[in-house]
Amino acid sequence: MTALLTTSVGSLPKPEYLIRARAKASKGDLSRDELRTLEEKATADWIRFQDEIGIDIPVDGEQYRGDMATYFAENIRGTVISGLVRSYGNRYYKKPIITDELRLNGPISVDWFRFAQGLTSKPVKGMITGPYTMMDWSFDEYYGSREETCLAFARLLHEEAVALRQAGAKIIQVDEPALSTRFEELPLLVKAVGIVTKGLGTKTILHTCYGNYDAIFEYFNKLPVDQLDLEMSNSGLDLLERFKREPLTKEIAFGVVDVHSHVVEPVDLIRERIEKALTIFEPDRLYIDPDCGLKTRTVEEAQAKLRNMVAAAKAVRQAHRLT
Amino acid sequence: MVRTTVVGTYPRIGDTFEEQSLRRAIGRFDKGEIDASQLQAAEREVTKAVLREQNDAGIDVVTDGQISWYDSQSHIARKIRSVEITGLARYFDTNTYYRQPLVSGPVAWDGPILEDEWTFAQSVSTAPVKAVLTGPFTLASLALDTHYGNKEKLAADLASALAEETSALVKAGARHIQIDEPALTLHPKEVRLALEGLETIAARRGSATLTLFTYFGEVSKILKDLESSPADLLGLDLVQGAKTWDVLAKSGSDKPLVLGVIDARNTGREDPKDVAKRVLTLDGKVDLRSSYLSPSNGLEFLPRDKAREKLRILVDAAKHAGVGP
Repeated sequence: MTALLTTSVGSLPKPEYLIRARAKASKGDLSRDELRTLEEKATADWIRFQDEIGIDIPVDGEQYRGDMATYFAENIRGTVISGLVRSYGNRYYKKPIITDELRLNGPISVDWFRFAQGLTSKPVKGMITGPYTMMDWSFDEYYGSREETCLAFARLLHEEAVALRQAGAKIIQVDEPALSTRFEELPLLVKAVGIVTKGLGTKTILHTCYGNYDAIFEYFNKLPVDQLDLEMSNSGLDLLERFKREPLTKEIAFGVVDVHSHVVEPVDLIRERIEKALTIFEPDRLYIDPDCGLKTRTVEEAQAKLRNMVAAAKAVRQAHRLT
Repeated sequence: MVRTTVVGTYPRIGDTFEEQSLRRAIGRFDKGEIDASQLQAAEREVTKAVLREQNDAGIDVVTDGQISWYDSQSHIARKIRSVEITGLARYFDTNTYYRQPLVSGPVAWDGPILEDEWTFAQSVSTAPVKAVLTGPFTLASLALDTHYGNKEKLAADLASALAEETSALVKAGARHIQIDEPALTLHPKEVRLALEGLETIAARRGSATLTLFTYFGEVSKILKDLESSPADLLGLDLVQGAKTWDVLAKSGSDKPLVLGVIDARNTGREDPKDVAKRVLTLDGKVDLRSSYLSPSNGLEFLPRDKAREKLRILVDAAKHAGVGP
């Protein structure tokens, strides 16, 4: 039996040299090819690191992505990218503006999936920014309806998911951090994600974070995916009681390290969290990962957090004689 | 023309190198390369530019753009007694975050919060600058509370603190005070609590014009309650709160309004003539001569160039509407 498989949510921090290179490239001082070489190096380094510490399901680390919505929009016809808007504090990002009918230019992330999968024998996750989040994080000047926009994205992202499967992806994750933005739109999200995952034949995961989980709980089992990936260490450990009363019918990837804290959680603390999760979930349906993408941490912090996470999962497996 | 105003926030950076001075200054401040007074100087340069953009567009009542605010909650709450500022929490449905205030004892006014910022802004603006305060109901709704264990009591004490602040702002010369209560769109059933807080604040406003503003949604079911509030003007988000428009169109309003008709959450350009035509359908039901047009909420959710464009659309729409004082 496979038990307590470890993985990552998606993004991993970019090394300093890549951050500098991206800044240069955005000013036109570095060619696309030169940037690509550095992105490949950073991706290869992260794959090697994940292999070395024994992560079961690696990610490519999204070294080539800026904002998760903008990256997809840049590769979809019918969009332009806006000027900067503030996220919080001194952090800013650019948003897609939909100015015309959305159409796929061709596969978006398949090339990078192939590159990363070529470097490891473990199954690399295919990563898609979900249709609801793409809609919610874009300005719409064309469709005039959130539902229409969302479903238009869903149809394109289904094509992307199919292309990932054809390229060999066995696991496809749909990221929907905007999931709990507007509760009344949860049926729309379910419908849109269903379009993306329909007939895929791979394992499918839905990741979300920073939500009012209690309010969306009743939708968990309705989400058309095999696995839910939830932030549990930062805000969700108290959800466990509710899962005890109302069991999840899907697999769960259980976030055990806080991605917004500089503090590297000690192995013992992570072990405790995994032990708590084990009181509710079957070990073969319980995956262990960080709360969210680690891109806002330094490379060193992210590596230390992942190392401790893998060590904790291993220790729990041994303690429970799970292989 | 109908008069125009804005709601509060304005983009603090744009896409040119010059327009990103504050982003660089905050980065340098965080690294310890410049001190607090240098950071404040950078904020004030941007505040000046933001006021110039509003003045140039011809907005009748402007704001300082809340350029120095980390967010709508912590900027006010951090100066209130017994409040500390904690981690990030999601701010309504905006894909932005605020630092959540934590109330661990009795709250009270500890001294001026916005006075310096308002005084500076007014000194560099040709139009009257409205002082904008986050309302006690919204502060109480979005904070963590380990002391009161009771939102009513917390909101009441916050209202007393904000009444002191209002009085200080009026003494400093502010003629327009706005209380933002976006949480009413989430919790319309608690409208009584919000109105009680507003009573406390209104008692200290002197001769200043007091606006109550709700945004990020509709308030159709509580519109009549809001009209009964002691505010002089009622600000409404009529974009996300399109349902409020339906009620207004049917029953009008006894109170002059700030009609938030320009979409501050989307880059799409409204046709000013269409906006004016729509606003004029309210003539006779709403006292447009005493009312204002505005964006639906703060303009900070748009890129700077689009925010500027929205100001122009707003003023054009007001011109086309024609009526006014």
